[in-house]
Amino acid sequence: MTHLLGILSIGTSALLTQQRAINVTGNNIANVNTPGYSRQRVNLETGTPTQTGIGWMSSGVTSAGIERIYDRFIGVQLNNENANLGRWEAQQGMLERVEVVFDESGGYGLNQALSEFWNAWQDLSLNPSGTTERSMVATTSQNVADAIRQKYADLETTRAEIDSAVKSGVDSVNRLVAQIADLNRKIASIEVGNTAANDYRDSRDLALNQLSEIINIQSHENSDGQVVVSVASGRPLVESGTTWALQTQINPDGHTDVFWSDLGGAEANITGQIAAGKIGGWLKVRDTHITGYQSQLDAVADGLRNQINPVHASGFGLDGTTGTDLFDNTTSGAADLRVNPDVLNDLDLIAASATAAGVPGDADQAIKIHNLRTAPTMGGTATFDTAVNTLISQVGYDVQTAKANSSHQAAMTSYLENYRESVSGVALDEEMVNLVKFEAAYNAAAKMISMADDMLDTLMNIIR
Amino acid sequence: MRINQNTMSSILVNNLRRQTQSMLQRQEQIATQKRINRPSDDPSGMSRVLEGRSSLAAITQYMENTNQGKTRLTFMEQTLGFVDELVRQAHGIAQENSDSGATSLQRSNAAEQVKGIYDMVLQFANSRFGDRYIFSGHQTHTAAFTRDSDYNATYHGDAGSFKIPVAENVEVAIDADGRNYFQDAANGGVNIFDQLRSLIEGLENPDVALGSAQIQATVDPLERADVQIANQRSQIGPKLYRLQATEEHWTNVRNTVLAAIGREENADVAQAIIELKNLETAYQSTIAAAARIIQPSLVNFLK
Repeated sequence: MTHLLGILSIGTSALLTQQRAINVTGNNIANVNTPGYSRQRVNLETGTPTQTGIGWMSSGVTSAGIERIYDRFIGVQLNNENANLGRWEAQQGMLERVEVVFDESGGYGLNQALSEFWNAWQDLSLNPSGTTERSMVATTSQNVADAIRQKYADLETTRAEIDSAVKSGVDSVNRLVAQIADLNRKIASIEVGNTAANDYRDSRDLALNQLSEIINIQSHENSDGQVVVSVASGRPLVESGTTWALQTQINPDGHTDVFWSDLGGAEANITGQIAAGKIGGWLKVRDTHITGYQSQLDAVADGLRNQINPVHASGFGLDGTTGTDLFDNTTSGAADLRVNPDVLNDLDLIAASATAAGVPGDADQAIKIHNLRTAPTMGGTATFDTAVNTLISQVGYDVQTAKANSSHQAAMTSYLENYRESVSGVALDEEMVNLVKFEAAYNAAAKMISMADDMLDTLMNIIR
Repeated sequence: MRINQNTMSSILVNNLRRQTQSMLQRQEQIATQKRINRPSDDPSGMSRVLEGRSSLAAITQYMENTNQGKTRLTFMEQTLGFVDELVRQAHGIAQENSDSGATSLQRSNAAEQVKGIYDMVLQFANSRFGDRYIFSGHQTHTAAFTRDSDYNATYHGDAGSFKIPVAENVEVAIDADGRNYFQDAANGGVNIFDQLRSLIEGLENPDVALGSAQIQATVDPLERADVQIANQRSQIGPKLYRLQATEEHWTNVRNTVLAAIGREENADVAQAIIELKNLETAYQSTIAAAARIIQPSLVNFLK
C-alpha cells in the first residue's frame, strides 16, 4: 500500500481515531463531577500491517476499544466499609436522639427528680403534719413517676421513628435491587458483543455502593459479568435479572421486622441477621440499646413500687389509715408508673408515722423511707440514685462509642474513596494534556492529508 | 498516588468539617463554661457529676435539717429559760411567805401572783413551734397540759421524741415528752405544777400556821425544780453543739463535693480560648491554602 492513496487512508484513520480520543477526553471532562464515574481511555493500536516489497508496513491507527479504568478489588472493600459506616452513622444519629431524652447536664432530669423526692421525705420528717411538706412529697413522687414514664415513652417514640426509617430503608433496598437487576441485563446484552458496558458498570457499582450503605450485602460477579447480590447469610436479592424483594411486617411487639421471601412466597424473618448498613444500625439501637435502657427504667420503676410501697404501707397516715401504697401497684414496669391516685386525692394518706399512736407527730416512717435513698434497693447492690446514674452514663457511653466508630469508619471510607478516585477519578490537568496531545495529532494528520493532496496535485499536473 | 481535583476538594472539605466541629465544641465549652454538655462528652465524668449532684442535694437537705433543729433547740432552750425564771420567782415567793409573819393580804396577793406564774408556766409548756406543740411528744396537735379550776395539771401528750435526720441513718433525737420537763415526779424529780398548786393552796389557806407549813414544804422542791429545768437546759447545749458541728462538717463536705463537681464538669475556659485561637489560625490557613490549591488548573494556562 505504499501509494499516495495509502497515505490518505492512514491520514483518515488518524483523523478519525484522534477525534474519537478527543471525544472520550471530552466525555471525561464532562463527567469530572459525576458520582461513580470512572475515567475512560481509548486504546490505540496500529492498523493491520500489510506485506510490501520492502517488508511489513502498518496501515495507520485504530481504536481497539474504550476502556474504563478501575480497581476491581476496591469496589467490594468499599462496599463492606460503607455498610459499617452506614451502621455507625445510623446508630450515632438515633442514639444522639436518645441522649437528648437523658440530658441531665442542664440539671433537671431523673437524677434531680429523685433527689427532690428524697429531700421531700426529710422535710416531711421535720414536720410530719405539715400540709406543704405533704404536698411536696406528693408532687415530688409524681415528678419521679412522670419523669420515668415520660422517658420510657420518649424511648418508645424513638423506636417508632426507627420503624418508619427501617420501612423506608427497605423500600430503598428494593428500588436499588431492581435497578441492579436492570443494569445486569443491560450489561449482559451489551457485553455479548465483546464490548465493555463501561457506563452501565459505573452505574451498577454506584448502585451497589448505595445499597451496601443501607444494608450489608455480599456480592460477586459471575462469568457473564452479572453481579449476584445476597443478604443476611446467603439469601439472594439479585441473580442475573431476577430479584427477590424484602418486606416489612409488624411483629407482636408492634415494631417493624424485615422479611425475605423466596420465589415460592415462603417468608423468612431476617431482622436479627442484618448486622450492618443503616438498617443494621437502626435495628441495633431499637432492639438492643433502647430495650436495654427501657428494662433499666422498668427495674427502677418496679424498685420504687416494691421497695417504697411496703415501707409506706406499714406506716400510718395523718388520719390513722395504714396499708396505703405510695406508687400505684396495679401496674408494673416504667410505662405505667404512677403515684397512687388515692394519695394524690388525700394527702393525709401519706404515711409519716410508724405507729397509729404516733400520729401526727411521729416521723419515723418518713425517715425510714428517706433512708432507702442509700439502701441497696436495686438488686441488692445499687441504690436508686446509682441505678439512674448508671443508666445515664450508659447512654453517654453508647453515644460516645457510636461517635468514635462512625468517625473512624468515615476516615476509612474516605481513604478508600480517595484511593478509588486516584485510580478512576478524572484529573482535569491530565485531560487537558491529552486534549492538547490529541489535538496536535489531529492537526498533524490533517496536515498530512493536505500534503498528500498537494502531492496528488503535483502528480496530476504532470499529465496536463 | 494520583491526585486529582476531586481528591483535593474532598480532603479539603473533610478537614474544614473537622476544624469547624472542633471550633464549635470549644465555642460551646466557652459559652456554657462546661466541659460536659451531654452524657457522651464524658460518660464516666458525667456519672461522677451525677453522683456528686445526688450527694450535694442530700447534703443541702441535711444542712437545712440541722438549721431547723438548731432553731427548734434554741427556741426550746429559751422557753425553758423563761420557765426557770418563773420557777425561781415562785421559789422566792415561797421563801418570803414561809414564815407566819406575812399578813393575809400579802399572802392573797402572793397567791394571785403564783396563779399568774402557774398559768405562764402552763403557757410555756404549751409552746408551739410553727403550729406544733413542742412538749407533747408525738401529739403535736394537742396542747401538752391543761389544768382544772383546782390547778391540777393533766398531760395529754405521749413519750414521743422529735428526730432530726442529720446524716445517713443518723438522727438527733430531741425529747418532746413534757412530763420529763415539767412533771418529772416519776423519776424522783419535781412536779412543778403540783408544787405550784401546793404553794397556791398554802398561800390561800385560812389557817396561817398550816398554810405556812404547806408553803415551807414547797421551798425545797421548787429549788430542785429550778435545778431540774437547768439540767434539761444544759442537755440542750451539747445537742446544739452537735448540730453545729454537723453543720460545719456538711459545709466542709459540701465545698469538697462542689469542687469535685466543678473539676469534673467545668471547662477550663482559658485553655478552651487558647485552643479556639489555635484552631482559628489553622482554619484560616487551611482556607487560604485551599484558595491557592483549588483554583489553578492547566485550563487557565492554555490558550
